[in-house]
Amino acid sequence: MKKFFHNLKKYFKYSIYSAKAELKSEVADSYLNWLWWIIEPVCFMLIYTFVFGVVFKNSEAYFASFVFIGLTAWEFFNRMISGSVKLITNNRDLVTKVYIPKYILLLSKSFTYIFKTGISIIITFILMAFQGVHFTWHIAFLIPILLVIYVFTFGIGLFLMHFGVTFNDLANLTNIGLRMVFYVSGVFYNISKRLSGNLAHILLNYNPIAFCMNELRKVMIYNELPNFLGLGIWFVVGILICMLGISTIHKNENSYAKVI
Amino acid sequence: MKKDIAITVKDLHITYRGLKKTSIRASWKNFGNKIELFQALKGVSFEVEKGKILGIIGKNGSGKSTMLRAIAGIFSPDKGSIDLHNHTISLLSIGVGFNKKLTGKENIFLSGMLLGFSEEEIKEKEKEIIDFADIGDFIYKPVKTYSSGMYSKLAFAITAILETDIILIDEVLSVGDAKFKEKSYNKMKELISAEDRTVVIVSHSLDTIAELCDEVLWLHEGKIKKIGKPDKIIEEYSKFMAI
Repeated sequence: MKKFFHNLKKYFKYSIYSAKAELKSEVADSYLNWLWWIIEPVCFMLIYTFVFGVVFKNSEAYFASFVFIGLTAWEFFNRMISGSVKLITNNRDLVTKVYIPKYILLLSKSFTYIFKTGISIIITFILMAFQGVHFTWHIAFLIPILLVIYVFTFGIGLFLMHFGVTFNDLANLTNIGLRMVFYVSGVFYNISKRLSGNLAHILLNYNPIAFCMNELRKVMIYNELPNFLGLGIWFVVGILICMLGISTIHKNENSYAKVI
Repeated sequence: MKKDIAITVKDLHITYRGLKKTSIRASWKNFGNKIELFQALKGVSFEVEKGKILGIIGKNGSGKSTMLRAIAGIFSPDKGSIDLHNHTISLLSIGVGFNKKLTGKENIFLSGMLLGFSEEEIKEKEKEIIDFADIGDFIYKPVKTYSSGMYSKLAFAITAILETDIILIDEVLSVGDAKFKEKSYNKMKELISAEDRTVVIVSHSLDTIAELCDEVLWLHEGKIKKIGKPDKIIEEYSKFMAI
């Protein structure tokens, strides 16, 4: 762990710089440039709102905001997970030529996703104001909830990054896994209203993404207090996964260059 | 007087796994088969004194590049140890961590920070790097628009000007056009002849090795065949290779 914090300090600036560089290069060639960071999430939100609000006649209050909050959390999770699997292989040039703690690559990647999530959250606020959602101080709980999502996702990402090096099929498997998680996490429906009994209970409490999504909606739309115990448990679980992931990476990272 | 040692390599073993990647299908087929191992280095030990220049020669596949990368910390040894006695180290290789869509200037920072320098240190040397690379206004254009010569000029300038205590060089002694080649060769000489800089060079060019090195290590099939003064080793090596 000491090594981790030492490396974190040493490479923190690099990861920020490299994240900035990546964001810049992502839009460098397109005509609309950085506008894409706004256009993309807004379009997805319109699609989902249309399909599930109009076609399937969903009667959820503030449905667009409801969907957008879900999408924001989901997109972060989705990007981190699918991004981490091929992370080492995609950075082949770097990994075979210079030593860098491999979780720094994931960290740097996560900064680009945090940036996009930030934009997404700002759009959510605008949308909520537009729909007349009542803003209260409960919204401040947004920050700890997002932190829980981040820690948990980072931990999972570490493991996927590790196994992604030697295990070719992992990308296909995670795609299937992600699709499944997407549908059971209630991005575009309210789990507690649509499902009942044990199933809803299991989905909401044992699926951290669904859990966090629900908590986000509680503090942002319904002006309720979050479930502190649940958040605390998932936070601890997340930290444990991260610690295990980091020590796995420390043990194995030097062999990666031989394999890819 | 006790000699100041910069690099200590002890009984270094490095093994490549023959089965490189697995997939569900492949691991099913190979289930129960023994994984093929390839030993790139089999017990190499040597020391390099501070300020000395060590050349490594040997035929293709003798483990030269593997050893260099192990010293740089990219691989960890499967057995044995490498001690750098707290010196900073860099493997002089071309264009590490470049992002081709960004400008040359931005890539100087990206690459430099990856090599472990702070933003301030790079800022200080930035002008020197740009001057040395000598690619004019292209420094403000995306790297993907560069010719391959310009690309390597910039990359060389970055690694050459941002200096570390120990430099590892893997056959990059000539990049760019004739003029830049001479300039980079001279710069390289200046770099490696600095008083307290330790250098390890891998090269097939015996002339270069003979001219630059204080000591030569001859690797043969993952083991040290000979180590000693350049002229003697190079003579024996040339004879050996002529057979």
